[in-house]
Amino acid sequence: MATGNQPLFKLTNKTLAYGEAYILNDLNLTIRRGERIALIGRSGSGKSTLLKHLRSLSPELVTWCPQNPALVPMFSTFHNIYAGCLSEHSFAYNLLNLIRPQSKALEVVRDIARSLSIEEYLKTPVEHMSGGQQQRVGLGRALIQKSPVFLGDEPVSAVDEYQAGELIRLISREYQTSVIALHDVSLALEYATRVVGLSEGRIWLDVDVSTASSEQIAALYTEADE
Amino acid sequence: MNNTASHLRNVSLLILLSAVVCVPFADFEITAPDFWGELALIGHAALNPEVISWTELLVALANTLSFAFQGVALGAMTGFLLALAYRFSIVRSISAFLRAIHELFWALIFIQVAGLSSLTGLLALAIPYAGTFAKVFGEIFEETNKAPAKAIRNGGLSGFLYTTLPLAWKRIVDYTGYRFECGIRSSAVLGFVGLPTLGFYMETLFKQGEYSQAMAMLYALFVVIGSARLWLKRKLLPFYIVAAFIWLPPTADISWLLVWQFFTYDIVPAPLRTGYGDLSAWLWMLLSRQAVPGVVNTVLLTQISLAATLLLSLVLFPFHSKLFAGKSKILGHGLLVVMRTTPEYLLAFLGVIVIGPSMLPGIFALGVHNAGILAHLIGRYVDEFKLRDDAPRGMLLYLYEVLPRVYKQFLALLLYRWEVIQRESAILGILGISTLGFYIDSAFEELRMDRAFVLILITALLNIGTDALARYLRNRNV
Amino acid sequence: MQRLTSFGRAAFALLFVFFVSVVQAKEVFTFTAIPDQDETQLQQRFGKVASYLEKELGIEVKYIPVKSYAAAITAFRNNQVQLAWFGGLSGVRARLLVPGSEALAQGYEDQFFKTYLIANHKTGLQAAEKFPENIVGGSFTFGSKGSTSGRLMPEFYIRENLQKSPDDAFRRVGFSGDHSRTISLVQSGAYEVGAVNYKVWERELAEGKIDTSKVQVIWSTPEYPDYQWSIRGDVDKTYGDNFKQRVQQALLGMNSPELLAAFPRQSFVEAENDFYQPIEDTARKIGLLD
Repeated sequence: MATGNQPLFKLTNKTLAYGEAYILNDLNLTIRRGERIALIGRSGSGKSTLLKHLRSLSPELVTWCPQNPALVPMFSTFHNIYAGCLSEHSFAYNLLNLIRPQSKALEVVRDIARSLSIEEYLKTPVEHMSGGQQQRVGLGRALIQKSPVFLGDEPVSAVDEYQAGELIRLISREYQTSVIALHDVSLALEYATRVVGLSEGRIWLDVDVSTASSEQIAALYTEADE
Repeated sequence: MNNTASHLRNVSLLILLSAVVCVPFADFEITAPDFWGELALIGHAALNPEVISWTELLVALANTLSFAFQGVALGAMTGFLLALAYRFSIVRSISAFLRAIHELFWALIFIQVAGLSSLTGLLALAIPYAGTFAKVFGEIFEETNKAPAKAIRNGGLSGFLYTTLPLAWKRIVDYTGYRFECGIRSSAVLGFVGLPTLGFYMETLFKQGEYSQAMAMLYALFVVIGSARLWLKRKLLPFYIVAAFIWLPPTADISWLLVWQFFTYDIVPAPLRTGYGDLSAWLWMLLSRQAVPGVVNTVLLTQISLAATLLLSLVLFPFHSKLFAGKSKILGHGLLVVMRTTPEYLLAFLGVIVIGPSMLPGIFALGVHNAGILAHLIGRYVDEFKLRDDAPRGMLLYLYEVLPRVYKQFLALLLYRWEVIQRESAILGILGISTLGFYIDSAFEELRMDRAFVLILITALLNIGTDALARYLRNRNV
Repeated sequence: MQRLTSFGRAAFALLFVFFVSVVQAKEVFTFTAIPDQDETQLQQRFGKVASYLEKELGIEVKYIPVKSYAAAITAFRNNQVQLAWFGGLSGVRARLLVPGSEALAQGYEDQFFKTYLIANHKTGLQAAEKFPENIVGGSFTFGSKGSTSGRLMPEFYIRENLQKSPDDAFRRVGFSGDHSRTISLVQSGAYEVGAVNYKVWERELAEGKIDTSKVQVIWSTPEYPDYQWSIRGDVDKTYGDNFKQRVQQALLGMNSPELLAAFPRQSFVEAENDFYQPIEDTARKIGLLD
């Protein structure tokens, strides 16, 4: 965190509403280039809301990977991944790719699919693929975007532990800056430079990963039960 | 739950009550010469169809299909483009206006500028169909899962192509396929105003009492629509559409001078055009002598027909359900196919021959045709039910198990048909029933485009109003 | 958004192609006739007239059937037909819409045409010289909405004699569509009284189609000019000099009984636009023309 590094996102005393009765209060959060932030907290604590808000602040900076991969079921892996980079091409080129994948686009998508180990499913409609495979397609659609900040909402929740680690490392390699909501605390601690915990409608924890203690994190998950 | 039930009951009672209020004002006289005799003649002809010229029949059939394929294809394309911008209220209003005017009225308008040409047939179908397609496609797009579109950054046309469109595609294709079937019916009816489809011959033959030959034409229509499932395949559609354009290229001798004159002179109210008379007196005459009686009779016919449809469909749907009819469902199925395949305009036309031009043939035609459609849909829905083993049978099954489950769906469909019934009620006036169509037809017959123009506008507004009211009742129904 | 509009523009261009459709070469000479009686027979009868004209004029001649009087007029105005067998009123309307068009020939009988009021026997109405004022309050059917003998003239005499519009004078007013149907509706009692073209009545009577124990003529209007052949003014330009005169000669020279039976007329005589001024005046008087 060198000096002169302007914050990419800066929330000051911000209040966000989500659901019908829930609210995130009094948020103060600054995110700088180069940070890898793990967002943790119980389900319903407002992680998705916070991520969506960050995305809306500067969409052109953000590579977005939503919780539910939200794929188009009847489309192939190729088309679902290619959908991530539509803005970079003309309408005509996009239309052409819809009718018949062009070799250059196919090459780009194939590379991404290979890194996600789904290369052999390039032409398979995603509705015929498993939940874990679908999640990787969703990740692929995010990876093709190449915007500098990766915002992910549980992007590896449907794959096994080993693969989850592989994928998170892949994200870390590709993106200098990222904010990822994760329910797997050990994975979070392995990947992140900083941990932000949400509970009871506010930021409960915001520490450098080296100073985060497992008690603090455990408290985050039990606090509301008392 | 209780709220929903009472709301359903209230809407049903409202429909029935409005019909009861309308009945005393409606004209139920049987004026035709010999009701039973004529019916017997038609019945006899129905068993003895006769084809004098196969060439004539096949050419008429080919024309009917050509107009249908061209019109629905162009309508679907235009409607699709409109649907892309369906979130703008101006586009929604334009679509509502296009479909509020019946294809026969569009045909009468286009005959003025493009004559009895293939172009007239194409546009008369394509325009109102575009309005309907725009609405249905627009609603399908709105109901499509938005998550994939939100997950990517491109919100424009490319994003639409890669998310919303593929998600909506199946419903779009299914609906379009269904509309081709409707298009064949509409195309046949266009013959009644002079285009060379089956209706052209049916009108002449039925009117002259050549019932056997007319019946052969009608059976041709039944066979073509009834067998649509066998030949109207998705993959063959492009072929059919190209063939339609080759068989009947949409051309016309258009004199642009006449088109210009149509808009700048013909539809200008007579007092302004000729300099004689006073515009307010002209308008007053048109409203008080034609528009008001026309609107009143259109509403009477609509409301009574709507109630007739409600009762008739509730009686009929068990015949189309395995649950009630068992194996003899096939008979009910056949009956309903005939009911919904016969265009309501043709049913009313036959009714006028047998009964005379009162409200009766109109109610008969609209009730039979629409009940045929609704009973078919509800019967199919009922057959998807899984009832418990000890469910009651017969009347008890109907009243306590089936009706409560289908009623909400049924009422939504009925309210959806309301607008359609109203549009048809207006058009039946061409046959001599005193709804708005009677006065519009008179205006065309007297070549008074100015009057026709005002009356068609009023008809469209009435229809848009009915549509809005139906939507309001439907939405409260949730 | 930019992309959407260019897409839209392409679609509109496509639509426009349909409007700017091919203009057919104009070599076929086409005519029509108002559908005033049994339509199935019109096709047959006028088919023969077409072959006669083809022989006389030496070019291809086609008859096209139409569904209504208005459709005949519109076809004439749009130059879909260049010649038409019109009634008095439809001819006046057509010639008002096509400047330069002319009445060429009329049937011998059309110089002194009549409308019969016919009544079902159950009404007890009897034939008389004087207009039958006691038809008030009954049911009444006209022919077609745009007919001279089936609508214009009877409505004129009803208004003049009863001082009421037909809607106010009768319990029920109908438009049968054509004269043949008017006769069958009154004969069967569906309507008590009707107005019918006297030539159609006489032909059907001669053919034995009318049951005179059920329906009879109760009154006849004074004479007026009716049917005529009208031709567009621009035919000489399209089909060559003197074409109009050649058509007129062919029409006047039509003397085979088989052809004349199509109308039915005993012969054709010359006609002029001015002959029909009384029809135009009457139509304006009762508000059928603006």
